[in-house]
Amino acid sequence: MHFAYPARKNSNPPPYLPRSTRWLKIRRRHLKPFAALALAVLGLIWLFSGGSKHKGGRVISGKPAVVVVTVFDGKYDNSPYIKSIRENRSRYAEKHGYGTLLTSASDYDLKGSPASWSKVVAMRHAITKYPDCKYLWYLDQNAFIMNPYLKVEDFVMGSTKLEDTMIKDFPVVPPDSIIKTFANLKGGDVELVLTQDKEGLAAGSFVIRNGEWAKFFLDTWFDPLYRSYNFQKAEAHALEHIVQWHPTILSKLAIVPQRTINAYAGDAHGEQYKDGDIAVLFPHCSGTGDKSCARVSERFSQQWRTSFSKA
Amino acid sequence: MSLSRSPSPVPGGGWSSPGLNMNGSGRSSPAKMSFGGPANGAVTWESARLKSQGVAGYPSFSTQNQGFFTRHMRRISSSLPSFNVGADDRYVEKEKLGRRPWRIPFIGRVRAMSARLGRKWKIRALVLAIFLACYLLFYITPLCYYWRRTSWLGGGEKFVIILAANVGGGVMEWKGAREWAIERDSVRNKRKYTSRWGYELEIVDMSTKKRYAHEWRESWEKVDSIRNSFRKYPKAEWIWWLDLNTFVMEPSYSLQHHIFDDLNKHIYRDINEYNPLNISHPLTGDYLDPDSLSPIGDGSPDSVNLILPQDCSGFNLGSFFVRRSDWTDRLLDIWWDPVSYEQKHMQWEHKEQDALEQLYTTQPWIRSHTAFLPQRLINSFPTGACSDNGNDTRIHYNQDDRDFVVNMAGCEWGRDCWGEMYNFRELSYYLNRNPWERFKEDLIAVIWFKLTGQKVKL
Repeated sequence: MHFAYPARKNSNPPPYLPRSTRWLKIRRRHLKPFAALALAVLGLIWLFSGGSKHKGGRVISGKPAVVVVTVFDGKYDNSPYIKSIRENRSRYAEKHGYGTLLTSASDYDLKGSPASWSKVVAMRHAITKYPDCKYLWYLDQNAFIMNPYLKVEDFVMGSTKLEDTMIKDFPVVPPDSIIKTFANLKGGDVELVLTQDKEGLAAGSFVIRNGEWAKFFLDTWFDPLYRSYNFQKAEAHALEHIVQWHPTILSKLAIVPQRTINAYAGDAHGEQYKDGDIAVLFPHCSGTGDKSCARVSERFSQQWRTSFSKA
Repeated sequence: MSLSRSPSPVPGGGWSSPGLNMNGSGRSSPAKMSFGGPANGAVTWESARLKSQGVAGYPSFSTQNQGFFTRHMRRISSSLPSFNVGADDRYVEKEKLGRRPWRIPFIGRVRAMSARLGRKWKIRALVLAIFLACYLLFYITPLCYYWRRTSWLGGGEKFVIILAANVGGGVMEWKGAREWAIERDSVRNKRKYTSRWGYELEIVDMSTKKRYAHEWRESWEKVDSIRNSFRKYPKAEWIWWLDLNTFVMEPSYSLQHHIFDDLNKHIYRDINEYNPLNISHPLTGDYLDPDSLSPIGDGSPDSVNLILPQDCSGFNLGSFFVRRSDWTDRLLDIWWDPVSYEQKHMQWEHKEQDALEQLYTTQPWIRSHTAFLPQRLINSFPTGACSDNGNDTRIHYNQDDRDFVVNMAGCEWGRDCWGEMYNFRELSYYLNRNPWERFKEDLIAVIWFKLTGQKVKL
């Protein structure tokens, strides 16, 4: 058996490799239709998929930055004490370009619940009135804003500031609640800033960030079933209840040292005011008599006026 | 050696010899007894069997299975090219001349064929081939399934169906044959539906559980299972809750096409359109924001987070949708509250349903994100339910309209759940016959009946 000799190799090899197959080659003139086809397929996919259509909620522009909310009990409306409180709020708001909502408890129909519930409705009202505000600061009637220089959005709600001041991993309702504030909460995620006094969570002064969460929180707090439950301290105990039972609220809550927004005139119920604190409250003061609110506040009345006129 | 009781069968099969095997269960693993063999007294069926197979029993010193080549020789040799056309005896006779049959490559043949075709026929053949390829791709391979699933194509992944199974099971009562049959049919129905459209199906066990030591938290598990499902299916956007006593009558309807592609057209947000509970709507109070005071919230379908139907007595949570959102987290969190529960649990017969009605009635933030669906879109009732006022076109199933889902609500109180389920199942099959079945049953069988007077089942 023998084979033919293999063909002699050419001594000048071809400069390019020969085309291996006649299939699977894309000539330049074929490129265009291929591109068109690919484009058409992609277009069809896009057409059928319809794309994502979701938009976020409305954007809050932050004007005014803060709204100060105070509800007056409407008993001594014309007394100089109440007038000075109104003046105090307005001047502070004016200085920083904030909004104010100074209403009376009788403006709201509470269906027989204690008047202290009106603060919750008033906050909701403030959102309606200032839909673009960034923060809402509720401050009790019996309180003065003492330091005109401090801005709520920086001093209280500023993200890094808040991360420094907030009390982490601490029982929400002292001393022995097993529910504790979050240990890793970012300043930007905080929607509600509260303080504690000697009796528990203090609802005399708190700050909320405006938004959907605020509406949810206020509506939940104002639930008629809480109002009808006869909590001993009405809305304050209802607040303690929802904060402990509902993680969607707890996870947005920061507790800050009391004097940040809620210093008291005396040290019987909580931490005492020191010069430079943003506000002073007169808790448990009465309408008339020796310990009346007007009496207790006299000491501070002059002080805030002088500091405001200097500013 | 006497034993107090007879030994049980061993897992490996056979029967351990109790008198001989004192040390343990009767099963001895091959590894343990490989060297000892019978010496340690454990003569079992298993060990005997293993020994006879030569798996173990003696120290291994065999030449079998050693080394690469011995182990792989057979495989290597079988994959070598073979030149033995004539090896098979049967063909030797035919291939006397040792001639090979012509083997033209497939591609070559196709090319030759296409060369013989004219241009017009080439195009026709191409179109035909494309159609065939599309058909194969979409209906034979699972491509269709994946297409429907993918979130940016069909979007099936975005929907999870939660089916509440085993309702009230566990401690309360034993399930009988009918209950099992209902459960089996219902689950199969949902499973078929979800696999057709690429949705996720989550079957949750609703047997009565205790959440806290002191209370039975009956039927509030809805909340927990919805939350779990959002966690389990991170791509899910909508969760569709379905009670056990439901049946998807029209599996050919996709949720997207049926409801979600044009959400605003199907839902109504103003409860006054159908208001069996007489809830005053919209809310009043000048402290509320315009969205809360408006009867339709902000009117955009994007703000709808809960979609539920209403039956003759109010909200119906036998079949409803929730969307993944912060709002939903809040609702699920607030839905069960100890203070509300303490005050109302005696009045709230329908537990979470009543609680939701309470929340809807009193809380503006719920109202502006809730929408309703006309009941028959996802929750038609059979004639037995809500039957006080006779047949209601808003409530009751009508086969002429090909309603999507039927919910045999309340059938466990005095009605025949299994009977209803069976009838609806058969009706669904009947309505969704394929053209061939229709041809056989509606034409051939009828003609046959006319001709011969005999009914036939084809």
